[in-house]
Amino acid sequence: MTKFLLGVAAIALVAGAAQAEDTSGKRIALSNNYAGNSWRQAMLQSWEEVATKAVADGVVAAADAYTTSENQATEQAAQIQNMILQGYDAIVMNSASPTALNGAVKEACDAGITVVSFDGVVTEPCAWRIAVDFQQMGREQVDYLATRIPDGGNLLEIRGLAGVFVDDEISAGIHDGVAKHDQFKIVGSVHGDWAQDVAQKAVAGILPSLPEIVGVVTQGGDGYGAAQAFKAAGRDMPLIVLGNRQDEMQWWSDAHAESGYETMSLSIAPGVASLAFWVAQQILSGEEVPKDLTVPFLTVTQDTLAEALATTPAGSVANVSYGMEDAKEVIASSK
Amino acid sequence: MSAQSASRKSGSSLAALSSRPWIWSWTAAALAFSATLWLTSGRGAGELAYAALSFGAFAAIVGLGQMLVITLGPGNIDLSVPATMTLAATLALRAMGTEPGTAFYGLAIALATGLGVGMANYALIFLLRLPPIIATLAASLIYQSIAIWSNRGLRIKPPEGLADFSTGRFLHIPNVAWIALGLAILLWILLERMTWGRWLLATGQNLRAARLAGVPVEAVRAATYITVALFASLAGFLLASFSGGAALNMGAEYLLMSIAVVVIGGCSVAGGDSNVPGVWGAALFMFLVVSMLNSYGTGAGVRLVLTGSIIIAIVIAASTRRSKQ
Repeated sequence: MTKFLLGVAAIALVAGAAQAEDTSGKRIALSNNYAGNSWRQAMLQSWEEVATKAVADGVVAAADAYTTSENQATEQAAQIQNMILQGYDAIVMNSASPTALNGAVKEACDAGITVVSFDGVVTEPCAWRIAVDFQQMGREQVDYLATRIPDGGNLLEIRGLAGVFVDDEISAGIHDGVAKHDQFKIVGSVHGDWAQDVAQKAVAGILPSLPEIVGVVTQGGDGYGAAQAFKAAGRDMPLIVLGNRQDEMQWWSDAHAESGYETMSLSIAPGVASLAFWVAQQILSGEEVPKDLTVPFLTVTQDTLAEALATTPAGSVANVSYGMEDAKEVIASSK
Repeated sequence: MSAQSASRKSGSSLAALSSRPWIWSWTAAALAFSATLWLTSGRGAGELAYAALSFGAFAAIVGLGQMLVITLGPGNIDLSVPATMTLAATLALRAMGTEPGTAFYGLAIALATGLGVGMANYALIFLLRLPPIIATLAASLIYQSIAIWSNRGLRIKPPEGLADFSTGRFLHIPNVAWIALGLAILLWILLERMTWGRWLLATGQNLRAARLAGVPVEAVRAATYITVALFASLAGFLLASFSGGAALNMGAEYLLMSIAVVVIGGCSVAGGDSNVPGVWGAALFMFLVVSMLNSYGTGAGVRLVLTGSIIIAIVIAASTRRSKQ
């Protein structure tokens, strides 16, 4: 028995040594620029779950979330300055702009604060970036369409919010994919602002002028609206790539049961916030972490649809929560 | 001789027609409609008109509400329209919880929310003497936060019957368009044929003079701020039922939209002059112009520049005609 206890102590000691520095006294803040959609709400919930548990377990002293009300870079810069004054050890941020916050981020770095940006990343070199390969997200959609519709045809592209970096990236990937699979042609492009009702309206407006559409390439949060518009216009339902929202997946599941409709769905999991939390914790513990990390996106296929639907709350978005081990894995794979 | 007088008569009726500020938004809508059909060589006319009526209805409802507030005179505006739409729709859809037969219960919840919002807005303006632009903007942050807090952004589907009704049609016209049309006629009668409308116009033209003339100015203002909130909550309720659930960002584009349709519709931004048919024309135009530019494949940048330029052109056309009157 004593031997066993000693063994446990030894393991604990080894584990402690592997973790160069204790982070139980460290305080981490989340600086978030927007909360007004279901993806961001799921993201904040992921953060809350992971952070509450980490604080209760004594991994960190505090992990507070702050959201600006107006989605403005200036407002978020002021928020970061407050965090510097409040003496946080690390700031995890989803940024309103890739460049406009660089000044505030630099100030934080100069004050000795670790800054980790995710989803909306910043270009300031002193900060860490957990980015998604959005171009790849666009290319993969067209690759998938090519496997399903080898003969090709006309595509409708639904874009996000004009002027936002993510929109340009995904769209560039889609156009890249269409250049590779030249049996496809984009015959129409509308901005759906990542919102179902806006996408529905834009698609309803352009549909009368479009020839037959075989596929719709999207950016997430717009697939269900597009489907509604096609239905209202009495057109054949094209292959619409979806974005992991529960209503989209429910619609897909119903359509599959009814007519064997098959598609794919992909998006970043809002749980990327929990990954960013653990990356920040790893940096604080003294771990060597490369500045640029890539997080895989979450893909739902016909085979995983039932499971994804079962684990996604009604009206929310498919999610995964990352733990410390996942963070270590992502860090190791980027080294 | 008779032919001459007939031509003179038609000339003068054309002049009379072009002096009506509402004609410009309708002309612009018709032009955008024809330009789109020109591209498709006439194919899909019915489809496009139907879509314009469906989506124009939401813009028309919030626009009519905003029109009443702007008619109240300089400085009067309701910037809480998007948050009111979101809050009313979120609370109503949560209360219904996809249960069949709860449509009227949901509608009552939405309208009650609108009533509460309208009274709160007016209380801020009247009791705290805040300028409406500040009061409604600040209050809208609170409404949006309540919407977030009440449901954390979960998208609850409308009951099936309600969804079918809001996406359905009657006599080839979308049901939502019938509702917006009914409200427009009601408002037109109120403004043109009833004392209350005259009071509203008098208040907007000169608050002091109206008060001295015995118009119950504060009652008129209170009723107007409550009406705009009721209209916004109804639009939110219908839009959420139409598009498969309430989303936290569903009202976002209706802030500028509600103001744009009032201005394009030929109402005076300085107040005291409202124009019900113009608002409907402008609501159709706002949908059709985006559809037209999308159909022609213009990029987002060009589209926004063109939309802005066209709006400015219509406003200038409508306002120079009015000043010549």
